[in-house]
Amino acid sequence: MRQIIKNEWRLLLRHKILLRFCFCFLLILILALFLSNQQHRAQLSTYKIAKDELREQWESIDSMNPHSAAHYGTYVFKPSNILTNLDEGVNGVTGNVLRVEGHVQNEMVYSEASQMMSVSKFGKLKASLILQYIVPLLLMFLAFSTVNSERQQGRLKTLLLQSTSLFRLMISKAIAIWLFGLSLLGFSVFIYTILNFNNLNAELFLRLILFLISYGLYYFIVVGLTIFLTIYFKRPLIALTTMIGIWILWTVFIPNIVMSSVEKWHLLPNRNEFKSAMKEDRSKGIDGHNPSDERGKALEEKVLAEYKVDSLSQLPINFDGIRMQADEEYGNIVWDKHFGNLSNVLIEQKQKVQLFGILSPMLALKNSSMGYAGSDNIHHQAFLRQVEDYRRIFIKQLNDEHAYGGSKTGNWGWKAQNDFFKSVKDFNYKSTELKSVWTYYLTDNIILLIWSIVTILMIFLGTKRMQII
Amino acid sequence: MKTLAILKYEWIHFIRSPFKIVALVLFILASVYGLHNGSDLFKTRTLEIDRIQTQAQASQADIIAYYDKNLKGPSDRPWVDVSTPFWALSYSYVYEFKSPSPLMVYGVGQAEKYGYYKRITNRSSPYDTDMAEEIANPERLQTGYLDFTFSIIYLLPLLLMIYLYTIKGTEVDTGILPLITVQATRTKLWLWTRISFYFILVLSILILLLFYGAILTDVFNNDFSGFLNYLVMMLLYLTLWTIIFGLIINYGSFSITNTLKMVGIWLLFAFIVPGSIHQVVSTKYPANLMIDFIDAQRDEKDKLYSLPDSIFQQKLNEKFPQILNSIVMKDSLKRNRAMNESAASLTNDLTKKSLKTIESSYTEKNKLIKSTYWFNPITFFQNRFNSITQTHFDDYQNYRDQIQSLVDKQIEILVLDIWGDVQVDKERYLDYINILSN
Repeated sequence: MRQIIKNEWRLLLRHKILLRFCFCFLLILILALFLSNQQHRAQLSTYKIAKDELREQWESIDSMNPHSAAHYGTYVFKPSNILTNLDEGVNGVTGNVLRVEGHVQNEMVYSEASQMMSVSKFGKLKASLILQYIVPLLLMFLAFSTVNSERQQGRLKTLLLQSTSLFRLMISKAIAIWLFGLSLLGFSVFIYTILNFNNLNAELFLRLILFLISYGLYYFIVVGLTIFLTIYFKRPLIALTTMIGIWILWTVFIPNIVMSSVEKWHLLPNRNEFKSAMKEDRSKGIDGHNPSDERGKALEEKVLAEYKVDSLSQLPINFDGIRMQADEEYGNIVWDKHFGNLSNVLIEQKQKVQLFGILSPMLALKNSSMGYAGSDNIHHQAFLRQVEDYRRIFIKQLNDEHAYGGSKTGNWGWKAQNDFFKSVKDFNYKSTELKSVWTYYLTDNIILLIWSIVTILMIFLGTKRMQII
Repeated sequence: MKTLAILKYEWIHFIRSPFKIVALVLFILASVYGLHNGSDLFKTRTLEIDRIQTQAQASQADIIAYYDKNLKGPSDRPWVDVSTPFWALSYSYVYEFKSPSPLMVYGVGQAEKYGYYKRITNRSSPYDTDMAEEIANPERLQTGYLDFTFSIIYLLPLLLMIYLYTIKGTEVDTGILPLITVQATRTKLWLWTRISFYFILVLSILILLLFYGAILTDVFNNDFSGFLNYLVMMLLYLTLWTIIFGLIINYGSFSITNTLKMVGIWLLFAFIVPGSIHQVVSTKYPANLMIDFIDAQRDEKDKLYSLPDSIFQQKLNEKFPQILNSIVMKDSLKRNRAMNESAASLTNDLTKKSLKTIESSYTEKNKLIKSTYWFNPITFFQNRFNSITQTHFDDYQNYRDQIQSLVDKQIEILVLDIWGDVQVDKERYLDYINILSN
């Protein structure tokens, strides 16, 4: 088997057109990685400037009423993850800026895609674009050509006489071409590692390995299936066109149809309905800005009883801050309910899409590629959750200062000082660790593995019925 | 061989090729699915706009009832007084919509990247956070919507490829090309007639699909010229790919090499060129984090509010010289309140100034993209189709401009009525709605 693989490689390296093609491919790949790296740096620098500027503005608040500061709020920018150099995932279409303020949980806005006209439906020239769309095609042609040339030149019989089985011969060819695909993959990761050497860590390394494994499995499926079709069909052209047809179905047709359909099977609310439902639920809680609100009155009585006083003016603290915080806490329950439902629908949609990996392993590859690159919706939702957690701490700190910082109820002119504002921590994004999300990609990997096994079986069955003339 | 005979034999060949029939069926299914997707989005948005308009009218009716009952406003909001221009305008419930074009049935373009309704107040801006796009699965947004334009741009070349790759190649592969040369008066005529057969076939199918789409959203009655524009653009696109593939066949030989060349060209134009340009544009112009806008909304605004009254008043006078001799100007008691309630006019200017820089960066980006059209046909056609279906970036920019002009209009009415000490009654309230709705 090793000899056949070696021999295949020798033939591949002798193929001048192939070498030229590989050279062009490598150039495009290097260009893609280089440009992605440049883009990442440019985005990172913009992000850093924006973040620092906003923090500086916050820290330079000389004195301000804490509740006014809650309205003044702050902004969180979505940081660019280093792995997005390989696969940008949803980052181009989700927003980049999220306003953090009191009373409202805002949504991310100003996505990159909304800031320019349409350019590319399949995304930027990232390594993933080449590795997902171009490399499989190249492998397909190579696999087709290696079996077809043996057949056309009548060498199969001679090879079989040299005491090897047809299955062993075909599987060796598949492995040889697959290894070629792996070497292209390895090259991409190698260049990526060199460009980002300073940022490498165990988490990143693990993600890279899983990224490699997913692509590796997909390449094996593509190579194996092409070999099967080439031995199955007597006419080489039919084999090649069928494989190209499958490639079209897998990469262009099925992903688009499935993604469009799952949104119809698991409906998301429209924005207006969603906002109205949240507003409705929120109106059942305490209105922080309305002292005559009934639930606010009940809270007032509770606090008065706690402090054993008869009126708000006798309270040693500022009840307005307590009311505001009660309003926030109710709002948080409402947010958890509605965004929880939204998140559940999104997960259901993802699970359904993943199942369609049985029809198109490309879907499984796309999911795991984005997932391991930390740029899929799961990671995006985790980011949003972190921002919301931060918002709660941020607003609570301001409300607590309002309540217990030294002012009395109704004293809206009271202002907290600069030291306090400096003490409020800035948002620091902690990258989502793979161990907390890996289960989401299990289905994709299992599907890729099953497809690989099925492909081996198909080659086995194909060789059984193949007639050697 | 006569042209008609070539066409006849090609038809026989076509109907006897299951592979080609299956490809056509798949293409038609995808296109019909895409047309329904577009139509669904059009209908959903139209319904949503109707719903919001109905809600707004109900809210306006509530306010009108306050005037009829001589009330100042909602009982749980004692500070509200709808007889003042400030509160009457705040409760005018005026919306600006980006109504979908019936041509959306053919393509949703960039529609899903933007909001399409916006309540206008004197503090609104076209980049407010409520202008977020409709709730959607980001992974679906990233994959894109399977609309009819997608079928045209990406699937149509593939369909053509499936139809054309065997032309001449099979004859070369099997060594019967010399026979064709003997029978046909001119080989090139034979070749291009066969290619034309598929061109006509595909064009006929596309026209039928266009008609089907037109029925779904009543395109003929609503935008017939748009339909014709789409048809012409589609024809040009089909011609482009037919010529490209025709030339490959004309100068190529074996089917396999022709197929590889066709796939290669498609990959180049569909993936590599647009992807590279997208990458270069993003590197040169990273996503704008709207810092200028944020600054205008917070720090610049705060600075403005902390200005001494005299300077604040001076700025207002410069902007609205009409208020210099107004009734309120002469009344020191009312003047301070009027000044506070007119602040939106100055903050609006700050916002507009910040947006100029941001929008000019968008223009630069778009200029760069447009400059690549000559070697990037897919992006060119995609944007042309988006323009026709009114789902292009520029259409949403126009929508944002309309929002801004409506905000400006509302602010002008607000300031002039505040300083003119106008008492808002039912009639004036209805005037507000009429002026701002037109």
